Amino acid sequence: MRQADHRDKDIFSLINPIDAISPECPLEEVYELFFKPQYSKLLSLPIVENGRPIGVISRYRFMEIFLKRYARELYGKHPIREFINGAPLLVELDQPLSMAAQHVTANMQFPLTEDFIVTRRGRYLGVGFVMDLLKAMETQMRANTEALEQANQQLKSSQIALVQSEKMASLGQMVAGIAHEINTPLGYVQNNVTMGQELFQQIRVMIAEYEALVDNLLDEQASEVVIAAQMQQIAGMRADVNAQEMLGEMHGLMDDSMYGISQISELVLNLKNFSRMDAAATEAVSLNDCIESALNIGRNILKHKVEVIKELGELPPITCAPSQFNQVFLNLFTNAAHAMQEQGTLHIESWAADDAVHIRVTDNGKGIPPENLGRIFDPFFTTKPVGEGTGLGLAITHQIIQKHGGQIRVDSRIGEGTCFLITLPCASPVSSTAPRQPAMLEAAA
Amino acid sequence: MSKPTLLLIDDEERIVRSLRMLFFSGYNVHTTTDPQEAIRILREERVHVIVSDQRMPVMQGSELLGIARDISPATMRILLTGYSDLDASIASVNEGEVFRYLLKPWDAMEVKKVVAEAAAIAEASFDVQSHTNTQSVVERKKPRVLIMDQDETTAKTVHDTLGDRCEIVWASDAQHAMEELAKQDVSVVVSDLVLGETNVGYILKTIKQINPQTQCIVVTSFNDTSRLIELINQAQITRFLPKPVSKGVLARNLESMLERFHILHRQPALQNRQTVAPISDPKEKIQAGNFIGLLGRLRARIGA
Repeated sequence: MRQADHRDKDIFSLINPIDAISPECPLEEVYELFFKPQYSKLLSLPIVENGRPIGVISRYRFMEIFLKRYARELYGKHPIREFINGAPLLVELDQPLSMAAQHVTANMQFPLTEDFIVTRRGRYLGVGFVMDLLKAMETQMRANTEALEQANQQLKSSQIALVQSEKMASLGQMVAGIAHEINTPLGYVQNNVTMGQELFQQIRVMIAEYEALVDNLLDEQASEVVIAAQMQQIAGMRADVNAQEMLGEMHGLMDDSMYGISQISELVLNLKNFSRMDAAATEAVSLNDCIESALNIGRNILKHKVEVIKELGELPPITCAPSQFNQVFLNLFTNAAHAMQEQGTLHIESWAADDAVHIRVTDNGKGIPPENLGRIFDPFFTTKPVGEGTGLGLAITHQIIQKHGGQIRVDSRIGEGTCFLITLPCASPVSSTAPRQPAMLEAAA
Repeated sequence: MSKPTLLLIDDEERIVRSLRMLFFSGYNVHTTTDPQEAIRILREERVHVIVSDQRMPVMQGSELLGIARDISPATMRILLTGYSDLDASIASVNEGEVFRYLLKPWDAMEVKKVVAEAAAIAEASFDVQSHTNTQSVVERKKPRVLIMDQDETTAKTVHDTLGDRCEIVWASDAQHAMEELAKQDVSVVVSDLVLGETNVGYILKTIKQINPQTQCIVVTSFNDTSRLIELINQAQITRFLPKPVSKGVLARNLESMLERFHILHRQPALQNRQTVAPISDPKEKIQAGNFIGLLGRLRARIGA
């Protein structure tokens, strides 16, 4: 009769189609009904007149009535109308379960002695059990909670995916930059080595000729004609290739190549330092090192456009995830470069005061309009064209700083520039068990 | 014959030192790290080939090559860059109109070959300039413009711009385009890179082999830098316009490419300036081979 497992339970499914009882029905007869097996679960019986419920009579009420001596003899033939509760608990069919439940719980009596009556537009349909209603309600709420939980999980995983995609986007930009940085020295080193090989070959041939000539000169048997031919051959070669000059040039190019190789090594080392990311969660470092690391990695973006002025003070080491701060600074520096139409200046200051480390990053770029200033840390807020920015850079920056118990503040003036001030407590509260993925929504709050 | 003159610009002096060594025996080599100095040299001397880096302080390579084009149109322009971003490659087509877009690190033999080829072409261009051909070509057949794009707005702009001055053909699939190219030579092609499912890069790369005078404008929303670089080198596309392209921009470029076609038509010696590099992609090589085969058959049939 009742299915408890159905999710979208409505009131209809709670109805027990109990035959309605006329108000004129004698008390005695009604009382007998309670003993019928099919009514064994009923707390009360519905009294209906002209299709409309006018009251209920409960087992409890009978108990009260029959407590009186001779009650059965006295009232047995009286119509049940005289004894009913004329204010039954009515529930209209066409309403959500939650509203019905609210209505019933607000109006039910304790102890629970009556069932509720289900009506459709005021007309009697059947009887419902309060316990069924509450059970159905509970099932529904559990389902809702599960759905919520699921939605929450989905949100969380899409957040992680987004943070990841921002990381990938900035990584992509970075890799393109680094590739250029490496391709330039690689270009001349490779060219120099190729030319070196060629020159090496030429000189080997020349030396062979010289040696042959020297052998012949030392050999008394050698013919003058052969020697003359050899000398002519060598003279020709000397006219073609000025070996001394070439060797001199090549010497310079080898120095260049060594320099190029050191450049490449340095870049690779920077990349390695930078991408310690996520590996070791926390470490005690000076944020000045993170600043330097970010400047190295961002060099390609900054090089031609930005004059960097550093005023880095002595900083106490901070226990933090250094890779995350590399990301923070790279983000701020590249944003600054992007804010500059032509050439610009990037001023980076750091100092320690009041048990905290302070870092100020100031640019003289185009500035942020006041209406945007309050939104720059919001996830997905971006002024860059579609496809160029995820709008997560500063949101992640904010998140990282907050997670380390710090603060980031911004001040900006149109046409003059933007200034970010980061403050981090020296005794950072970050724990090594802190989640590696920042929860984005917290940053937005 | 005196040595051809080569001008090398890169903001990294080690690059120019290295390149100088590569070329000094066969060329009269000028090197500089300063684009302004490069401009001065171009003004004062006959330069056969200019090889420039793209990313430099003060001036981008594509911009410098654009200036070089104005000062000395006969000079062949080559970009040598380690940074292949889309903007740079688009600028090198539209502004710099480069002969080749080469990447660092380069292959010494290949660069030598390209520069030698460019120097020979420049020499021929200088000759054409000095023996200015005064006889104007009276016969001017109506130029033929082929649109390879499913986008109606492209076709409409071409029609609106050129009207009755040209015979305009609109092909919205590769097969149709190839048949039209077989029928008769085309003056200007306006093409997307993808027609339906078909990648039409191989058609663009083959066009120059059939008719070197044809000027190729690419209008596309497709943006892959390495594909574009291929199209510069192997198809010598003369314009790359990212979609959506405004009517005015397309119209202006159509006009200038039509003019370019007429110049090449009058001065066939200049056609070599747009000599293409061989197709590198093996799949496209086969496709291009098939296309040329089809072309032969169709032309034979039309001729018969």
